[in-house]
Amino acid sequence: MKAMAEIIDTILRSIMVSGVATLMASLWSIPLAYLFVFRNRGSVFIEAVIETLVGIPTVLLGLLLYILFSSSGLLGFLGLLYTPQAIIIGESILVTPLIISISYRSIRGIAHLYYEFALSIGANRVQRMRLIVSQSLPGVVAACITGFSRAIGELGIAMMIGGNIKGYTRVMTTAIALEVAKGNFEEAIILGIVLLLITIAISIAIKLISRVYVA
Amino acid sequence: MKNRFAAITLLMLFATILIIYYNMHSIHPTRVRISTTTSLYATGLLDYIAVKFRELYPDVEIQFIPVGSSAALRYAERGDVCAVFVHEPNFEKKYLDMGVIEEQKIFAFNYFIIVGPREDPANISMAIDVVDAFRRIYSAERESTYFISRGDGSGTHTREIYIWKLAGISPTDRPWYKECGCGMDQALIIANELKGYTLSDVGTYMVLKIRGRIPNIEALYNSSTDIVLLNIYSGYLAKGCRGIERRYAELFLNFIYSNPDIVDNFGVNEYGVRLFYSARHFDGDIRDLWSKLAGIG
Repeated sequence: MKAMAEIIDTILRSIMVSGVATLMASLWSIPLAYLFVFRNRGSVFIEAVIETLVGIPTVLLGLLLYILFSSSGLLGFLGLLYTPQAIIIGESILVTPLIISISYRSIRGIAHLYYEFALSIGANRVQRMRLIVSQSLPGVVAACITGFSRAIGELGIAMMIGGNIKGYTRVMTTAIALEVAKGNFEEAIILGIVLLLITIAISIAIKLISRVYVA
Repeated sequence: MKNRFAAITLLMLFATILIIYYNMHSIHPTRVRISTTTSLYATGLLDYIAVKFRELYPDVEIQFIPVGSSAALRYAERGDVCAVFVHEPNFEKKYLDMGVIEEQKIFAFNYFIIVGPREDPANISMAIDVVDAFRRIYSAERESTYFISRGDGSGTHTREIYIWKLAGISPTDRPWYKECGCGMDQALIIANELKGYTLSDVGTYMVLKIRGRIPNIEALYNSSTDIVLLNIYSGYLAKGCRGIERRYAELFLNFIYSNPDIVDNFGVNEYGVRLFYSARHFDGDIRDLWSKLAGIG
C-alpha cells in the first residue's frame, strides 16, 4: 500500500514538474515562434540552430546546469540544485527549441496560406495577424503536447540536477532507471507503460479541450 | 540529372564498402562479456586488468558492462553475460542457490568508509565504532546536515541498512535522510553539495577526491577491523555461458585471482593509497567473513 502511494506520488510529481516546465517554455517559445514568422529575419540561420538544439542530449544539458547550479557554480547561491524547481528550469530549457521549431513550422504554413487571402478580402494588419494566430492554434497546441512528452520522458536532467531523491525529486523516468539498476526489470516495464499511458491520456485531453475552444 | 543520380549511387556504394571494410577489421575472434558493479569499473581496475590479460591472450576481447550489482546478476540470469563481478554477498548467495552463477572467486576486498562535511557536526570522527558513528549522525543537532542514502538496493545500500539495524534506529522517516536512488559517485556528489554524510566504498571516494570533485567532504570514519565495513568483491561464471567464451571467462577470473600484485598495486601511484586488496592471501578467513555477510541484509 505504501509502495502504491509512493508510485502515485511519483506520477503526480512527474506530471506537475513537466507540466509547469512545458507551460513556462510555451510562455516564451510561442511568442518567439510568431515573431520569427512575422519578422522573417535571418530565418535560415535561426532555423538551423533551433532545429539542432531540438536534439540536444539531455545529460549534456543536465551537466551544464549542474555546473551552473552546484554550490561552487555561478548560480550556486540560489540553492536550486536537487530541487524540483531545478528540474522544471532544466526541462523548460530543454523543450524550448522543440516547441519553437514545431510551432514555427505550422505558423509559417498557415501564414503562407492565409496571407494573400486576407489581403484580398481587404483585412488590415491587425486583422491579418489575428486570422493567422487563430488558424495556427491547433499546430501550436500540438507543439506544446510534443514538448510535454519530451519533458516527461527525459531522464538526464531529472537525474543530474534533480538527484532522484525519494519523495522529493524522484520522477517517473528516474524511478524507471532506478528499478533497472536494481535489476527489477518487471517493475521498470510496468512504470514505463504507466508513463506512456499517462502521456497519451494527457495529450488526448488537451486536444479535446483545445478543439472545443478553437471551434 | 542522370549524372547526378550516378554520382549519388557511386557515393553510396563507396560508403557501403567503407562500412563493410571497417566492420571486417574491427571484429575480434572472441568476445567475452562481463557485467560488473560500477565501483570496480569506475576506478579503472577492470580495464587495467583487461589490458594485462590482453598481453597474454591477444585474441580475446573482454567487454565490461558496468551496472549495479543486482542488475549485473540479472544479466547473468538472462544469459547475456559470461561472468559477473559483484560485491553484494547476500544477493550473490541468493543467485548461487538459484544456480545462476557458479565457481566463486573472491578476488579483492576493501572497506566502506563514512564520509561527511569537513566540520563534522555530528562528531563521528570520535566514534568508537561504526554503530556509534551512525548513532551520532542520527542524534546530531541539525540545521542542514543530511545523510545521503543510496536507496538503490546496491551492496552499499544493503550494508547501510544493516548498520542502522545494528544501531537499533530507523532514520527513513527523518527529513534529513535523503534517498537518492543513485550510484556511488552521484551519492558522493550530492553529499558534497548538501554537505551531508554518506557511506561509501573507499575506491569510488578516492577517485572522486583526487579528481577534486568532492572538495566539501572528507573520509571521517574508517576501520579495518570492523567486519561490518568489509567490502568483498567476488567474480562468478554464469551458468548459461558455454564453449570457448566460458573458457576465456574462466581464464580471466583465474588471471585476476592468481596475480594478486595487479590488484594490490592498482592505483597506488595515481591515488597514493591502495584502493583494493587482493584476497588471495586471506583465502580461508575471507570466505568465512563472506558467509557471515551473506547472512545479513
